[in-house]
Amino acid sequence: MNGHVKSMHFQQFMEPAATLLSLLLVMAVDSTRTVSASRNPGCNSLQQTLKLTRLVEKESVDLIKTYKVSQGEMSELFCKVSVNDVPDSNISGLEPSEWIVSIFTHLQAFFPHFKRVYEQQTDLQSPTSPLLAELTTVSTRSRSLAAFISSFYQGLFPNLPVPEPAGGPTTLPPPKNVFQQKVYGCVVLKTYKEFLSNVSQKLRTLKPKVCRRRMQINTLFFF
Amino acid sequence: MVSAKEVQLLVLSCLIFALPSTGDRPGKPENLSCIAVQEERYISPNITCVWEAAGRQTGFVPTTYTLNVRSNIGMYNVSTREKSATVSVGLFPNHETLDIWVEAHNTLGKVESEHLKEEANWFVKTNPPSDVRVISERTFPTSLLINWAHPIDEVYVKLTYEIRFCPSGSQNWTYVPLVDTAKGIQSFRLQNLQPDTVYVTQVRCKNAIERGYWSNWSTNATERTPEDRPRSKPDLWKIITEDESTARQVWFICKDPVLSNGRIIRFDIKIQDHKDRVKNRSGELESIPVNRSKADPSPSQQKITILKQISLDDKKSVEVYVTAVNSVGKSPEASLVITEKVNELPTVKDLKVQRNGGQLCLEWKPPARPVSEYVVEWVSGSRIDWQREKGSTKNTVIKGSLEKFVSYTVSVYPLYSGVTGKPASKEAFLEEGVPLIGPAVKLKGKPGCNEAELVWNEIPQHSRRGFITNYTIFYTSGTKTHNITVPANTTSYTLKSLSRSTKYDTWVIASTIRGSKRGFNHSFTTLKYGTGEIEGIVVGVCLSFLFVVLLTMLLCIYKKDVIKDNFWPRIPNPGESTIGNWSPDYPLKTETPKENCLSGISVLDVDVCDGKCGSEDDKASLPLKKDKYLSEEHSSGIGGSSCMSSPRQSVSDSDEGGDMADTTASTVQYSSVVASSNGYKGQTPNFQPQQAIFSRSESTQPLLDSEENPDMLLQEGSRQSQHFSRQPSFTHTAGNEDSADPADFNQLEMEQQVLEPLDFCPLEEETTPTDGQSADGLPAALVSSYMPQLGGYRPQ
Repeated sequence: MNGHVKSMHFQQFMEPAATLLSLLLVMAVDSTRTVSASRNPGCNSLQQTLKLTRLVEKESVDLIKTYKVSQGEMSELFCKVSVNDVPDSNISGLEPSEWIVSIFTHLQAFFPHFKRVYEQQTDLQSPTSPLLAELTTVSTRSRSLAAFISSFYQGLFPNLPVPEPAGGPTTLPPPKNVFQQKVYGCVVLKTYKEFLSNVSQKLRTLKPKVCRRRMQINTLFFF
Repeated sequence: MVSAKEVQLLVLSCLIFALPSTGDRPGKPENLSCIAVQEERYISPNITCVWEAAGRQTGFVPTTYTLNVRSNIGMYNVSTREKSATVSVGLFPNHETLDIWVEAHNTLGKVESEHLKEEANWFVKTNPPSDVRVISERTFPTSLLINWAHPIDEVYVKLTYEIRFCPSGSQNWTYVPLVDTAKGIQSFRLQNLQPDTVYVTQVRCKNAIERGYWSNWSTNATERTPEDRPRSKPDLWKIITEDESTARQVWFICKDPVLSNGRIIRFDIKIQDHKDRVKNRSGELESIPVNRSKADPSPSQQKITILKQISLDDKKSVEVYVTAVNSVGKSPEASLVITEKVNELPTVKDLKVQRNGGQLCLEWKPPARPVSEYVVEWVSGSRIDWQREKGSTKNTVIKGSLEKFVSYTVSVYPLYSGVTGKPASKEAFLEEGVPLIGPAVKLKGKPGCNEAELVWNEIPQHSRRGFITNYTIFYTSGTKTHNITVPANTTSYTLKSLSRSTKYDTWVIASTIRGSKRGFNHSFTTLKYGTGEIEGIVVGVCLSFLFVVLLTMLLCIYKKDVIKDNFWPRIPNPGESTIGNWSPDYPLKTETPKENCLSGISVLDVDVCDGKCGSEDDKASLPLKKDKYLSEEHSSGIGGSSCMSSPRQSVSDSDEGGDMADTTASTVQYSSVVASSNGYKGQTPNFQPQQAIFSRSESTQPLLDSEENPDMLLQEGSRQSQHFSRQPSFTHTAGNEDSADPADFNQLEMEQQVLEPLDFCPLEEETTPTDGQSADGLPAALVSSYMPQLGGYRPQ
């Protein structure tokens, strides 16, 4: 067998190989989207959580506007007053496993305050006031968000214990006068909005890791 | 042996299995689909689902369906007997995963449908994009910018959009590919549009993540692209008419460029003599302003502009250059060359024009010389339109809008690099119909007796509505209707074999392939007499009358005597009777007794009284009458014998024949004088042979004494004869009066003279002078009044 024939065989092999390689490359590039969406439950969960966080954040912004409008004059000042016993908006923990839990816990902490604000505003507003509907909406979505956070955490850290809802009743401030109630309600909503913004930021930091990691795995698989 | 009981059980079991069961387990619901629509700013919490029920449903065992929706925050369900239901989840769980299924259950069992486990936004149908606006930018004449607003905040549903657009008035939408519209955009730029064109745009949206329901299309957003300079040449053409002079009248016409890209405000035209072009001399540029409306004309209704009219000599050729100008700029230049008439380039061959499917199809054979382009032109009345075809085309369809029942002159012009060749033309109808009016028939000139020439005018072009195939002429006189078919190129016809003096009703119908149209009736009456007939008849009658008159006149002239005798018989006038004397010895002259002569001497005419004359005397006297004789034998008449010598001719002359006999037949002949051989023997012997004068009266009266006495008579006779000669008178009355002319007088005189010498021969044989005859026939009378006649009496 002469070398010419051998080179011919090699050339004949190279063409289909190149074609196959190109095809694989295209599939790999296309898979970054689909894989991240459909074949990566964690990524999907993260994306859903992110969307819901943005949704709740947006609704909380609208809620604050509605709240201010419904409180009458000097409503701008209400949110600038500091109030004790309102959860802060910061998220603790450095690791994702820690601050995800922190997010979940904080969310849970806001629920009683939502309820208190709703009760107070029920006395202050008419039954058909949009403030009450929006308060209900934000509260309901927040519960959904909490469930999403929990599900995301479980999916991301299946081996870690499931974060438990906050035990015991949250310490609510004592009943106040109307002004104080108005201030209280504005502070709660404002703090919640800031909290959600922090949550959104935190979750976005996870996206490259959670969604890209799977893509890297798939890419390695193809090669 | 099988007992009866066993058989009964067997039959019963068979019946149980054969009979349909009264109820079944519920069928599994299939094809479950759910939708949640937008309400105001949010997605409605009401989720509506529909499904199909499989299996048989019976009224005995009804099936209940329960729609279940599970979200992260709870479980919701609703039951129904229908195949659709709406469940409220309180707050639509955007971005959450929903688990939806349907349970079908009845008393016999329960079955679940397939679970729809999808993100909640998969079931969302939002409102269409709101506030869609289209922006036109002058710097981009082929582009439009579309802006819109999200129908719902993206935090609820991230949307993807679809855009479509079409020119205003068209229903052919152009869809922007989805890949070109990124998710969540709110504007898009349409490109590669036509300048100065109104476009209609619509936008819709749906959940950006794979599945979802498209919203409805937004309301129309309409905008016109900016103008651009014309990008194609104007469609330049010409109309040439030839007059009696050697010059052609040429109208240059054109249509706006196909890519006008704006409203054309003027045309610039330059006409140049072909020779000038060769010498590099350009003609003057002339601007022709036009007034166009802003509305876009459809391509089939492009307006034609008449640019200029010139008079072109048959021996000259010109080149024309035209550009169209709008508010932005000029179009490319269009040109056309019209050659000398004698140098017209060859035309196409075998041009055929046919109707096919509501269009006119043309087919032709190209000329030998290569053609760069064809121009198909169609003209109807004052309207003209044309279209251009490639040089390789051999058949085409007229793309313009043609009207039915209108005649078009379709022509194909070959163009040889802008130089117009000779056209080939044909008449055609898009669709033929029945003519609107029928031909008006009338008579040419006046009708004849048996024929009449009819003429009619051709139906006007605009009323024909088709090619006339033939004319049919109808004519009727009331009893029977006749018809004659003539070719279409005929406008007159002569009806023949018509009846005289008959009223005819006639009409003409014109026929096309679609039907016929009758014209108005025209009535006429044929003549009773032809031209010249009456004149001929009159002339004939007149001639005949004239002939009759002439004949009558001639008859009268030549037969006047007969007529006279018949109508006015000659009656002797006794008052004019005369006694004539003759001498028997006197030689008889061969004179013919005249009509007007004294008829005192008469001779019996045997001819006159053929049957009546029976006496022997008459017979004996016959020979005497017939001949002239000189004998003296005469017969005597009534009243005695009287003899008459016959020197004179007897009255009845044979020569005279019947005339005289006829003439004298009317006179009374009642005696003849028979003379003896010895002559007349008178009663008085007279030895002197003197002439005896015999006179005899022609009257029937007896002889008078004077007559009986000859002597007296001789004297008297001489006196009377003289008297008679002096006074010629006639015994005839009426008849002679007419002939009382000098000639007759002379005749009478001559007769008198003849009579004068006549004397009676004295009778000698008679014994008694009293007896017998007197010389003049009166001897007997001298004796007595009567003498026995010898000759007998011939009665009248």
